[in-house]
Amino acid sequence: MGVFVFLPLVLPLTALPIVRVAGQHLHPRSATRLLTVLGCVLALCSTVCLLLLMVVGTAQLPGNPLPDGWSDPEVRAVVPYPEVTGTTAIAVLAAVVAAGGVTVHRHRRVRTRAHAALAGLPHDPGSDLAVLPDPEPYAYALPGTSRSPGRIVASTGMLSALDRDEREALLAHERAHLTSRHHRYLLVTRLAGCANPLLRPLREAVAYHAERWADEDAADAVGDRKVTARAVARAALLAPKGVSAPGIAAFAAAGPVPRRVAALLEPVPPSRSWPPAASPAGLAAFIAAAGTTVSAVSSLNASLALFLVLKAATPL
Amino acid sequence: MVTAGMADSGEGRHEGERRAGARRRGQGELEAQVLSVLGTAPGPVTAAWVQQRLGGDLAYTTVVTILTRLHTKQAVTRSREGRSYVWNPVADEAGLAALRMRRVLDSEADRDAVLASFVSSLNPDDERLMRELLRAAEDPSPPPEDREG
Repeated sequence: MGVFVFLPLVLPLTALPIVRVAGQHLHPRSATRLLTVLGCVLALCSTVCLLLLMVVGTAQLPGNPLPDGWSDPEVRAVVPYPEVTGTTAIAVLAAVVAAGGVTVHRHRRVRTRAHAALAGLPHDPGSDLAVLPDPEPYAYALPGTSRSPGRIVASTGMLSALDRDEREALLAHERAHLTSRHHRYLLVTRLAGCANPLLRPLREAVAYHAERWADEDAADAVGDRKVTARAVARAALLAPKGVSAPGIAAFAAAGPVPRRVAALLEPVPPSRSWPPAASPAGLAAFIAAAGTTVSAVSSLNASLALFLVLKAATPL
Repeated sequence: MVTAGMADSGEGRHEGERRAGARRRGQGELEAQVLSVLGTAPGPVTAAWVQQRLGGDLAYTTVVTILTRLHTKQAVTRSREGRSYVWNPVADEAGLAALRMRRVLDSEADRDAVLASFVSSLNPDDERLMRELLRAAEDPSPPPEDREG
């Protein structure tokens, strides 16, 4: 498998240009999907390669449960690098699995705890909205679980600060999060970031595009982009100031919320799923697609090579 | 609902006793506990009554502090009776749910990964930009792209 086994570990770098410019020519729905698919494939390939390195690495360890033939010099020669790569791969893979496990666990815990908090509320079957008497302004889309359906949680502090049209836009926005299951995109990209730290920037980008997606759906539902823009702007000005999340602040000059409002004051974005080839976004998308393809081919090639070598080395 | 809250607080207490000393319960959790105890009260009650019902692992002054905090949040009312206050809950089930939800929001650092918030907070530069954008959004004249022909 040679050098190819290491390629998928660094090829996530090819996704970084499209992370920056995905919003320029794409509908946020397409941008969210494109970035999630790229992140998912690149993370999978990167993990497969770690697995291959780990198998070779484990076979070298004394007392391992793998067939003896797997530690033959021929197998060893498949990874033409110092023995330390194998042991490093074991440690890295353990870290990846642990980080992924923690992410999934936290995701579940927040969801369960939030549903438990709402459990006592009288449930109106016709409405998915839970209004909580709290002066602090907040509004959340709480994804459903196997037992409880998804709900929109909004505080009276948030709802009372908006007029009727704006409230409608807010609810349409949160409802879009629920119906399009945006939390899944967020979870997948978070897991991708755990699998390979180079994919971390996808997280903020997908979070941003998912918000934009919900904004567009809300503007569609209420039939007024300005009202939706106003709802987002008003709500943002209510929130406590100056505690912007560090990762998001570094993402671009203007924060995500002003960019959302500005985008809503622009015309509807084109609903294409691939940026035009002659644009910077088109070039970036091409680089990412090429990188992803090379990554997939490399990991497939490495898997096959190792499979054949191990098959030859395994006594039947 | 209130019974569920009581069971919850009882569980918290046992856990608290196990980890006595080093334990430090969250502010929201204590508030929800006090409020659910208050919900079982037959009428206006004293802080000592609440303290007793909580199981006595909280200092009297802590209970008074929590009650005062709940009063600021308008979750309880108080009236003077003799030299001390008597307390009455005003928060209903929705109020309790709000307190519990706040507890979740305050304690989960990466809740944003699950709960897509409507807006994230602004830094001062964003705020200035946002006020400009809001002015544009409130401008009654239609934007150029809306004009036909």
